[in-house]
Amino acid sequence: MSASVGPAITARRVARRRGVARTLGRNVGIPFGSLVLLGLVWQGIVVGFHIQPYIAPRPMQAFEAVKGDWATLWPLVLGTIRETIYGYASGALLGVFLGVVMAKVAFLQRMVYPVLVLSQAVPIIALAAPLVLILGFSVVPIVIIVAWIVFFPVTVNVLDGLSHVDRDLLNLARVYGASRWRTFLQIEIPATTTSLFSGLKIGATYAVTGAIIGELVASDGSSLALYQEHANSNLNTAAVYGTTMLMTAIGISWFLLVVGAEVLMTPWQRRSVARAPLRRARRAGLNAVLTPK
Amino acid sequence: MSANALLELRDVAKVFADTVALSPTSFAIEEGSFVSIVGPSGCGKSTLFNVIAGLLKPDAGEVRVANQLVTGATGHVGYMLQKDLLVPWRTVEDNITMAARLTRRVTAEDRAEARRIAVQYGLGDFLRHYPSALSGGMRQRVAFMRTLVTHHALLLLDEPFGALDAQTRLEMQQWLLQVWRETGRTVLFITHDVDESIFLSDRVLVMSPRPGRVVADLANPLARPREIATLTEPAFIHLKTQIMALLHGPSA
Repeated sequence: MSASVGPAITARRVARRRGVARTLGRNVGIPFGSLVLLGLVWQGIVVGFHIQPYIAPRPMQAFEAVKGDWATLWPLVLGTIRETIYGYASGALLGVFLGVVMAKVAFLQRMVYPVLVLSQAVPIIALAAPLVLILGFSVVPIVIIVAWIVFFPVTVNVLDGLSHVDRDLLNLARVYGASRWRTFLQIEIPATTTSLFSGLKIGATYAVTGAIIGELVASDGSSLALYQEHANSNLNTAAVYGTTMLMTAIGISWFLLVVGAEVLMTPWQRRSVARAPLRRARRAGLNAVLTPK
Repeated sequence: MSANALLELRDVAKVFADTVALSPTSFAIEEGSFVSIVGPSGCGKSTLFNVIAGLLKPDAGEVRVANQLVTGATGHVGYMLQKDLLVPWRTVEDNITMAARLTRRVTAEDRAEARRIAVQYGLGDFLRHYPSALSGGMRQRVAFMRTLVTHHALLLLDEPFGALDAQTRLEMQQWLLQVWRETGRTVLFITHDVDESIFLSDRVLVMSPRPGRVVADLANPLARPREIATLTEPAFIHLKTQIMALLHGPSA
């Protein structure tokens, strides 16, 4: 049987691969091209205006500075990533929790919302100093600063999403006799996914910035931010630019990761037909393996 | 009232602030029949509907479904609106089983029934599609199947075809009559389209606003099955004239 359907499947696979290549080209190739263009503009300005390397290096000089000190930089990069992950995860969880609680309890919304707005109005640098006083120079205040920045857009978007779920849909669930808990799980949560990811994406762009600010104020001696500060005071401008590129790369990767999670979790926004992984596996003959005789 | 009344309303009334949305209303609907309610907007159709569905508690009166007192209680009727209310994150099959998912664990039988009914009524090829891939008419069919598999004897349909174009609406009306005939459910159908109310039903209740009330309860003499030609029969025109007079005054 598999021999007779073989060519058709292969043709379809080739077509799909060609489609994937085109999508990749459009979604990765074009953004990458614009980054290269940006580098060329940078190069052009530095060379064209005869700018001294200690004022502004050429892109390749910044690259070289990073490459040359990679052994020192790599652990620092990992450190920044770790702070970002811890801070982002706790901030996102806190954000979802606060958004849900405020959406469900009107009294708490009135009580908590002003405090949350206040928390974001406080300059983050002003917040860092007392945090270090209380918690000392360590990763903890850095993680708190990241979470502090990340939770807010998540809360606002989750609250917004939950308060805009279609009333008629909620009524329909009531007519079916659905409990509040099941309505929450089956209707309200999925209906809020898009808003949730809006908040998570905004948070992702801020998270690395938060980690760098935290490192600047609170790290215990070795961090990407302090490395950059050190390079700056030594007039090693190429290393300053190189470090900035590293920080930016972490931020972009983090954002792309969140976008990737969104793509995986909201297939209905891109596809008209749901994938049927189990059925396909069965057709491939896995069924014989999975069900013992 | 009669023993085979599936739905019975006794002096049901509802007031919002100082507006009488529904003055005391009583009627009964026989099991297996198709009854339309026609009236202009603001005549209390939707209030009446929400009271029967249990979403609104009436200020007075009682609602009985299958001789059981259900005033202000949900979970006793199938319910469908002009908006299809399909959830975009579920496939057609999973939208049809939505009621089960909202009340308990979805079983293999639920899925099998959803697939069977979809195949039977022309959506078999779309079970794994998301609603965004469907046309308005197809979406309303899915919404109706979702209502059917709740297994309630009484289906409340509130202008389900109101948002469709005339051509699709006519197709959907015929489709609905076919499904109704084959499943033996009882249907209470709200519309502001007089033709639609006559074409579909055994009985037409005419409502009027300020205060919202039923002003006439007309038996429909037209034979079944009904075809497009039914729309131009003298009996159809006669009933239509009668209803139009009730809705717009005798001068019309």
